[in-house]
Amino acid sequence: MKDISTIIFRLTLTCLVAALIMGGSFIVTNRAKQHNQQVNEQKVMLSLLGYSAAKPAPASLALHPVYRYLVTEQDVQTLGYLVPVAGGATDAFALVTIALDGKFVARHDLRLAPEKAEQAKERLQAVQTAVGSGKTIQYADQTIIVTDNGQRQAYLLPGEFPGFKTFVKVILALDPGFTVLGLEIMEHEEDPGLGGEIVQDYFKNQFRGKPYEALKKLGVVKEPLPDEYRGALEAGKTGRLGPEEVARIQEQYKDHDIYALTGATISSRSVTNGVKGIVKKFAYRIAFLDRVLAEQRIVVPF
Amino acid sequence: MATDKSNLQLVVNGILNENPIFRLVLSMCPAVGISTTVMNGIMLGVAVLFVQVFSSCTISLVKNWIHPRIRIPTYTLTIATWVTVIDMVLAAYLPEAYAKMGIFVKLIVAFAIITMRLEMFASKENLTHSFWDGVGMGLGFMVGMMAIGFVRELLGLGTILGYDVLGFRPLLFFILPLAGFFCVGLMMGFFNYIETRYKRVKQG
Repeated sequence: MKDISTIIFRLTLTCLVAALIMGGSFIVTNRAKQHNQQVNEQKVMLSLLGYSAAKPAPASLALHPVYRYLVTEQDVQTLGYLVPVAGGATDAFALVTIALDGKFVARHDLRLAPEKAEQAKERLQAVQTAVGSGKTIQYADQTIIVTDNGQRQAYLLPGEFPGFKTFVKVILALDPGFTVLGLEIMEHEEDPGLGGEIVQDYFKNQFRGKPYEALKKLGVVKEPLPDEYRGALEAGKTGRLGPEEVARIQEQYKDHDIYALTGATISSRSVTNGVKGIVKKFAYRIAFLDRVLAEQRIVVPF
Repeated sequence: MATDKSNLQLVVNGILNENPIFRLVLSMCPAVGISTTVMNGIMLGVAVLFVQVFSSCTISLVKNWIHPRIRIPTYTLTIATWVTVIDMVLAAYLPEAYAKMGIFVKLIVAFAIITMRLEMFASKENLTHSFWDGVGMGLGFMVGMMAIGFVRELLGLGTILGYDVLGFRPLLFFILPLAGFFCVGLMMGFFNYIETRYKRVKQG
């Protein structure tokens, strides 16, 4: 009996000390970690748009995040889009709710400082206050609409889909006609050497330049990747082929299915289907959103 | 039972006489699962080295206060704490390294080699010895992983450290988890063979 009380006491003490150490280092490091993630995401987004340290983005380029929420009120679900409102103060946002069949439901104006809008928690709070009680709000996803001098240049879609083992997180860049500009894998847990190859240029760059029409029925083929195509896909790294050459080869293969990775057909197929799903759903939703914004004369900066 | 070995001997001991993979046959799950490339071996080796050294030192410091009945939970907690702290620090201050090493660091909590070393060595020895033993074990693990990774990467992918050496992929089978068993088994046999030959030659 004496032993048990000592054991309980010591084990509790050990756990407490461990918790203190871990909690302490979490508090110290968390801010830097989040900052790193944001910086990294920003960098990836710009690189997907074709900008880098050597070719910085012009000042006229602007990224406008649009957040999508699921609004549920007594079993009725609507989609709420949090959009920035143009022509006023920078903290003017509007939550536009749209029924699932695309009909406009309501508009709620809210004020939210842009830096606060980036914080998921404070944003959700602001949205909740704007729609009022009695409705449940659930965050769905985010779309970043890129404009250059007010002209739509591209869409950036962070998204995730199931891979071979667990979720694969990606950022996808589309041009206004839904042609893929680029794909970047942010997080994955595929097998190293097999499915892990999805991060390689010769796989992920295959999506680049695929038009919406081809994407809708995109499949995976188990064929060896042609050398010429591989050269074009890896041109960014090797620098062997000129941009015109790369564009020519890309054009040639633009309607071709995705060449599967050797030994990782499931991962290849999941990424292909995942990308397809993201684009199709997005194209469907943005059409509704654009129509509603135009009908309701909501002026947005994009 | 204090060890009579010098610090250097402790380090060499971890790499050769008591190599975690080929001699102690511990932590075989990662050795088989992750050792597909040399780079993976180095990354996991570095991660193990840090966790082993930190945990060994911690246990060595608090060894007099650990109740014998709960020593294993205490070791596990210590390892888990260090793994979590290293993971968070890497993510915060060395994002580039973390992007490559992140998944390896998280794997370490369940490594038998670290718990075993705490039980066999750090809980009986002083701080300096525990430190050098941790370094030796970490390096030994890294060397073992790199050796397996070398064979598997060369035979499976035809590359070494990502550089194309063969120009083709001889046996893709070698990067599948199953081949890890073959590889480890054959290499262990090979090293045992060398050792027996060496001893026989030495005896004349």
